Amino acid sequence: MSSGKPSEEKSEAGAGLMQYSPESMMPFGPVHPSLKEPEYFRLVLEGEKIKEVIPRIGYVHRGIERAAQERTWVKDIYLFERICGICSFAHSICFTQGVEALSKFEVPRRAKYIRLVVAELERIHSHLLWLGLVGHWAGFDTLFMWVWKDREHVLDLSEAITGNRIHKSYATFGGVRKDLPDDIKDKLLAEMSFIEKRVKYYDELVSSERTLSVRTKGVGTITQDAARRLCPVGPLLRSTGIARDVRAEDPYAAYDEVPPEVQFRTDGDIASLLSLRMGEVLDSCRMIRVAMEKLPSGPFRTPVPRSVPAGDSAFHVEAPRGELFYYSKSEGLSSPARVKIRTPTMANLLTATEMLKGRPLADVPIVLTGMDPCFGCMDRVSVIDLDKSKQWAFTGEQLREYGIEYYRRLL
Amino acid sequence: MSSEEIESLARKLKGKTSKSMNSTVILVDPARVLDACLSVASFEGFYHLTTITAVDIWEDIELTYHFWKGRSFVSVRTKVSKKKPEIQSIAASLPSAVLYEAEIRDLFGVTFVGNPYTGKRLLLPDDYPDDLPPPLRAEADPETIRKRMKLE
Repeated sequence: MSSGKPSEEKSEAGAGLMQYSPESMMPFGPVHPSLKEPEYFRLVLEGEKIKEVIPRIGYVHRGIERAAQERTWVKDIYLFERICGICSFAHSICFTQGVEALSKFEVPRRAKYIRLVVAELERIHSHLLWLGLVGHWAGFDTLFMWVWKDREHVLDLSEAITGNRIHKSYATFGGVRKDLPDDIKDKLLAEMSFIEKRVKYYDELVSSERTLSVRTKGVGTITQDAARRLCPVGPLLRSTGIARDVRAEDPYAAYDEVPPEVQFRTDGDIASLLSLRMGEVLDSCRMIRVAMEKLPSGPFRTPVPRSVPAGDSAFHVEAPRGELFYYSKSEGLSSPARVKIRTPTMANLLTATEMLKGRPLADVPIVLTGMDPCFGCMDRVSVIDLDKSKQWAFTGEQLREYGIEYYRRLL
Repeated sequence: MSSEEIESLARKLKGKTSKSMNSTVILVDPARVLDACLSVASFEGFYHLTTITAVDIWEDIELTYHFWKGRSFVSVRTKVSKKKPEIQSIAASLPSAVLYEAEIRDLFGVTFVGNPYTGKRLLLPDDYPDDLPPPLRAEADPETIRKRMKLE
């Protein structure tokens, strides 16, 4: 790679939160297959430490908000649930509930409970997926394999209830598309016991295992003050001690009758995030049990008229990653006039860049994974070293190995 | 914030309020947006800026700044003319707005004066043609965009 010269990269190098000379700009590469907007970060290094992080997004921008304006309201449910494979149901219930509020469609109580159960199952699967990724990035592939195997139990439940593992196509205006299968309660309760046992084991494992603790304790710390300024959401926010959760603060679906026990920690580091998300999985298991015990009988869906009256609605849900927000505007036509979506990863991006400042390069994979961004892997990383006036590119795999080696030397 | 407090804030800012379901909207002129947002954000617990929404309303771009606490949103709304789509950035005082403003700049072509994200683009590709309207504006035509960017 060149040294001391302006980046060979194209004008993407122009993006910057601060003005840095071209020599010191280090792009940090994008392309994440399972992400709405893969992120691309420029890292400016001084010595081993990261001085500045500049995000650039849009690599898989699909023009979904525009596409929504050209499809009918119902078709848009299926469009939005494909924004994300991990929090697909959160998107579909956020959109449907926003439109239901606008149209004053009544949703039967049973449907609200079913939505809660499926949403919590999704939270469990999402957090388990994340735990596996943390293991992978830290070089702990055994953890990754075990956790993802356990996650299969959750995906099987999702398939039993909705017919699909990922894009569930289950929520619709007025309720859900079909009722719970007759035999699902026993299956659910049995699997919840299984997940609880496994997660308690993982919780103990990750807090005691040195490979992980040295990479997560005191790493990527955010303070409460920073959180109030930068407005992150979800587990990232709750790890600082600010216990805000849309399910508790602004309940939707059946959360007013089956409230969460909002999990929070106070250290604000990645280790807190690990423990916090495990706590959330256990709480989700508890909520599913309670919801199944209290499940009301009755219809699972109300027939609703095809048109949506003019008006606008702001609605949010607590997706696994945090507050997911939908603003829908209707002009009384068969398509929405506007749907604006703000995903939790977008809200957390700024905070993630703060978490990296002052950390060594080796922390990048763990810290970025810590915020549980809606992406699976980093394709390419470019690093600029201010001191040595040189820049080079890492592939995601090389960066992962660099991180593992760096911390192995410390152990 | 109680409705009296919101009303009195709106009066101070020479704006109007409107309520729809869980949202109370304070409608102000673009020049008062920074004051309005700071007032709402400094109110006990309303520091959380959920996002900034932009909507194309034919001759103008309507901007709504959503603040959340408890069971309601208190939003500040304004509109800028498409002929001169410029407004003061709030990011210096409310840093969480940086990326939301940059996104609106890319997709609607609104300039947020003083926004610290100095890059040319946040999420549009670098080679998005400068002479085409920003993609979420009503006058933008997806087919033209695709042809110009050689996507078909």
